[in-house]
Amino acid sequence: MNVAVCVKQIPDPAAPPALDPGTKNLVRDGKLILDDSDAYGVEMALQLAEAAGGGEVTLVSMAPNGETSGLRTALAMGAAKAILVSDPALAGCDALGTAKVLAAALKRAEPDLILAATESSDGYTGTTPVQVAELMGLPSVTFAKKVSTEGGTVKVERQTEAGYDEVVSPLPAVVTVTAGVVEPRYPSFKGIMAAKSKPVETLTVADLGLDAASVGSAGARQEITNVAEAEARAAGEIVVDEGEGHLKVIEFLEQLKVI
Amino acid sequence: MHFAFTEQQLEFQSALRSVLENECTPDHLRAAFADPSADAGRWTTLDEMGVVSLTVPEENGGLGLGLVDLVLLLEEAGRAALPEPLVETTAMAAPVLAALAGRHDRCQRALEALVGGGLKMAVSQSADPLVPVAGALGADAVLMTVVRDGIREIHLVPTNGDGPEVARPEPVSTLDPTRLVGRFTSDPTGSATSIATGDEAERLWGDLEQRAFVATGAFLLGLAERMITITVDYAKDRKQFGQPIGSFQAVKHLLAGAQVKLEFARPCVYAAAWMIDQGDPSAARNASTAKAYASEAATEAARVCLQAHGAIGYTWECDLQLYLKRSWALAEAWGSADDHRQLVLDSLVDEFG
Repeated sequence: MNVAVCVKQIPDPAAPPALDPGTKNLVRDGKLILDDSDAYGVEMALQLAEAAGGGEVTLVSMAPNGETSGLRTALAMGAAKAILVSDPALAGCDALGTAKVLAAALKRAEPDLILAATESSDGYTGTTPVQVAELMGLPSVTFAKKVSTEGGTVKVERQTEAGYDEVVSPLPAVVTVTAGVVEPRYPSFKGIMAAKSKPVETLTVADLGLDAASVGSAGARQEITNVAEAEARAAGEIVVDEGEGHLKVIEFLEQLKVI
Repeated sequence: MHFAFTEQQLEFQSALRSVLENECTPDHLRAAFADPSADAGRWTTLDEMGVVSLTVPEENGGLGLGLVDLVLLLEEAGRAALPEPLVETTAMAAPVLAALAGRHDRCQRALEALVGGGLKMAVSQSADPLVPVAGALGADAVLMTVVRDGIREIHLVPTNGDGPEVARPEPVSTLDPTRLVGRFTSDPTGSATSIATGDEAERLWGDLEQRAFVATGAFLLGLAERMITITVDYAKDRKQFGQPIGSFQAVKHLLAGAQVKLEFARPCVYAAAWMIDQGDPSAARNASTAKAYASEAATEAARVCLQAHGAIGYTWECDLQLYLKRSWALAEAWGSADDHRQLVLDSLVDEFG
């Protein structure tokens, strides 16, 4: 079974993030790393391909400047190859534009199953995977906490507020996985060495047969109009307890009408 | 000539750092202090990654890499104060086992266990078999040397399983229980444990000691860096006279001085690793230089970090103590800074005197 995983390469969350003052977009010119939340999808894909008795895991990603550092991390975990779409025309892409690009790239991989994280750690829209499914005309199942495949179907335990739903879908399908789905493996040194020679196909918007006006900032229907500091949490009131502290607590709780 | 680490060496370092940031936190170290014999699964993870067998030749199933490849990883291990015996197993013992594997079944089997099963090794520093050995309690086997009638011997002493050659060390209590120091109550070496003698033993043990100096030095660099990082954070946070203590010059200078010592020690350790890999004739002297500088850097870092913390730095609740105790132990292990300065002097006098 061939599994494709949508992975995002993001600026290192440990480094202080920067916003472009003009576009108000996140600056992503430097070295990018594999989004932690995508490691779960990669691990799940590797396990599913193995359980199905073979098949390849293909990574699909869109990133500026032909960036492959994050892809190499996922290749080191065991993915076989990667498709990277990188094109200056893609700068300023909104979620739907990204979905168009990923859908076009995914078609080339002809996967039996497409996995993605529920959302990226830098954009947080959480909309791209379902848009990809819609554009490809595939069913989508979100928030998977357990995934297995059998014959031509995928069985998913879908996380809900109260517990989980059991969902069965025909393949191919798009499934988004939560951080709890599996424990990602650490890349081995042999895997890191092997990742260097694994194929990464780099494509442009034209290679995918997409109209440049429909993607990037040209095609974006979303615009960041304003960026503001999150309101700082107000300082609490400090009460010095001189034996009467409990009365203050009672008074406070009475104000809240909880007692 | 390329005088920097390769991209791959840096990738290995970053991969190991991610693992240890998850698997070897201060909480994990506290758990190891409380129960040093408990298996936290870290060694298996390192084994599966290929860290443990990094220096084993490729034909024996390892990665066939050298001390330059290993030195950054040992620094990471030091940053995390890794309790498991990476220095002893991968830097010191594996090359000896690999050198003798073709001729000794026991070395061959030990090497296979090291590659496939994460065999843990300890190495005795003394030629007196009754002197306590760090790591002996947690190890599967201890590599030992003795000198009988002026002739050096190397012995591989298993510490578990059955057989006449198996010897079980007794626990020795120490300040850092993760060191798992053990002592043999009677000489465990004999014809059944011998793996090399004479000139070959001299050469193998001499090379092992050089690797020990550099590897222990690399581990000390990591410890020093971690202690300084912890203390810089503390100095920004801890207030006295209404301001963070890090704003006082007396504290700033202490910590900056420790960082300078660390930065001066680092290239000495890297250079010595490179010379050992190259078989450079002055490798031994440079290995001693590396250990002297690294020991001094870690001792200084430990001293100023404890001073900047105040007495709380030594308490169980403070993370600093987890790294302090290992620094003190390793600064003296395989020769103190003074011992190594003397060796450097002797070597220079021999060559140029």
